[in-house]
Amino acid sequence: MAQPRVFCLVLLTVALGAQALTPSHHLSLSDVDRLKGLLSQPFTDLASAYYSIVGLSKLGASVADENDACQFLKAQLDPMSVDSLFFAAEASQAIADCEVSIFNETRDILLAAVSEDSTVTQIFRAVSALSSLGLPLASQEVVAALVARIAKEDNVLAITTALQTATRLSQQAELGGILEEIEDLAARLDDLGGVYLQFEEGLEATALFVTAAYTLSDHADTEPPLKEDQVIQLVNSVFSKKSWDSRSEAFSVACAAAALSSNRFHVPVIVSTQGPATVSHSQPILHLLVTDILSNPLASANLLVESAQAVASKSVVLSQAPFSLRNGIFELNFMASQPASGYYQFTVAVTGDSRLVANQVELKVKVSTEVAVTNMDLSVVDKDQSIGTKTSRVDYPFKAKGSFTADSHQNFAMNFQLVDANTGVELTPHQTFVRFHNQKTGQEVVFVAEPDSKNLYKFELDTAERKSEFDSMSGTYVLHLIVGDATLENPILWNVADVVLKFLDEEAPAAIQSKTLYMPKPDIQHLFREPEKKPPTVVSNTFTALVLSPFLLLLILWFKLGANISNFSLSPSSVLFHVGHACMLGLMYVYWTHLNMFQTLKYLAIIGSLTFLAGNRMLAQKAVKRYEVICVTG
Amino acid sequence: MSNSVISVISRFLEEYTTKTSNKLKVVDAYLFYILLTGALQFLYCLLVGTFPFNSFLAGFISCVGAFILGVCLRIQINPDNKGDFLTISQERAFADFLLAHTVLHLVVINFIG
Repeated sequence: MAQPRVFCLVLLTVALGAQALTPSHHLSLSDVDRLKGLLSQPFTDLASAYYSIVGLSKLGASVADENDACQFLKAQLDPMSVDSLFFAAEASQAIADCEVSIFNETRDILLAAVSEDSTVTQIFRAVSALSSLGLPLASQEVVAALVARIAKEDNVLAITTALQTATRLSQQAELGGILEEIEDLAARLDDLGGVYLQFEEGLEATALFVTAAYTLSDHADTEPPLKEDQVIQLVNSVFSKKSWDSRSEAFSVACAAAALSSNRFHVPVIVSTQGPATVSHSQPILHLLVTDILSNPLASANLLVESAQAVASKSVVLSQAPFSLRNGIFELNFMASQPASGYYQFTVAVTGDSRLVANQVELKVKVSTEVAVTNMDLSVVDKDQSIGTKTSRVDYPFKAKGSFTADSHQNFAMNFQLVDANTGVELTPHQTFVRFHNQKTGQEVVFVAEPDSKNLYKFELDTAERKSEFDSMSGTYVLHLIVGDATLENPILWNVADVVLKFLDEEAPAAIQSKTLYMPKPDIQHLFREPEKKPPTVVSNTFTALVLSPFLLLLILWFKLGANISNFSLSPSSVLFHVGHACMLGLMYVYWTHLNMFQTLKYLAIIGSLTFLAGNRMLAQKAVKRYEVICVTG
Repeated sequence: MSNSVISVISRFLEEYTTKTSNKLKVVDAYLFYILLTGALQFLYCLLVGTFPFNSFLAGFISCVGAFILGVCLRIQINPDNKGDFLTISQERAFADFLLAHTVLHLVVINFIG
């Protein structure tokens, strides 16, 4: 199951980049089996019997027990109901030697259903039942009724059903108007990302539309007005769902699959590989399968490589090379063209049938090879005077005989070449690593070996420069060479030699840092903000008393000055004023302790306005009194 | 030098006690009280620290504001200044004083925390 899916993904990514759209979904053999399984489930009523029997017949299979099914149809038939007659008649047509009995009234009932007053579904069922039972019907009347109903029921399902009805009428009837509905309906499809084309009503509506469009086109011998890209997008929509919710959905998918694999105009073709598309010297042949959407091999197809281009160098390796057919699988010996290892972009074309749609497919093929390490030379070079002291050659897969010692005055050097084991061409794989492993401390240091312009790999270790990576731990390090790449079939892990490294000023690290990296860190205790230091209560109380003391002084001074309230007139306004003023001061205290600004302002407004009015009056009275005194005294 | 200072001060005090009316002296006593209160608050802040800084500010500004309003009242009710304040009667000055104080108290209480 994973293989077609992986391939579908690859094909999808390739298809999105390619100019011509190719199907990203189809029914693999296991999908077809699953579909048949769903349709083969036991049926309980006529409708499910119809879906199962007719659906399986479209897929080229049949129900488990045909006799049983036939008996069931006959028993369940209600000769007064149009739906019942439709299901039974259609299902019995799909079973060999199964005939449903007809009464005299049957024809009348069915013909009565064909009128402008019945729904399109009723008309369709009546017409289908009439034609399956071999009863005569007037095609022109049906066309008139359909046209009238389409005008009234303008939804997708109704028009699709009308298209289906038209396939049962005689070819002499005027089906032109109904044929035009295919194009109108296709315009209503929703384009999702350029990959899917479906009705918002869902999968079943889309599948039924595909079935109706192609069946009617075949019946009327007119090419359906669907472009190649639209057909592929419809294929993607209908076959993207691999497990179906209901029998009717499975039935619609089965009908669509049958219509798309065997109509006279458009047959989408699927080109797939068996397993990953890889060739190598041991497996030089590229196998491809060419099938229709039901994964049935196409009878009269020919496969041709239009071009095979290397992805890296863009050079064309193969052009116009045909595949040979063997046991239903197309084969091509790609290694015969002696391609270098790497990825190749293939453009293949399927020919042989003018109905084929999406017959130009792009594939990515990988050519893999084996790598060999040659001319591996290890040496210890003195820094000040580059005399190559000891150069030893080591052959793969053996280990160097002695160990190499390098201290801070010396460099350790490694030269080698990587070649294709089969062709001798120099290779530059993605991964060429040199790994030093200290057995005692568990340290592992990895470096990258780089090729020079002549594709010779060189690696040099400057002991003094690199001591930080080694944490200045002297000791014996085991040296490994690691070579890997996607196109290599034999990645290499080679224990080349032992290297003794001596570092100056050796600090013994307490423990290897990496160990403590993944242990829980020490807890952080949250320190709440310390409240500010307050002075002792004694001091505060003293100063409170001190600050309040000038009030006493004020009272004494006023007394000495002779200030008094002897002139206090007890008029209501002055009483009210003083009471109001006292209330305002009291309100200030209450504001401090209980209220917020809004409440205070509210109370202040009330008390303040009262106090103001009273105060105004009181002060006016005082002013009048004062002027009287001034006037009197002259 | 100090002699002349002492003589100036004594002359000032003499003029003050004789020439100023009682009403003004009452207001002056009130101003002196406000001044003392403010000074003591400031002293506390210097000695002990600014811990509830908002409270200190509220109290100190209350003293300063009250002092200023008191000074305004004194200026406005001084009969010698009548020429500068023709439209403002004594009662009006007092009413203004009370209104300004209401607003000052509202703000101070809001800030005192």
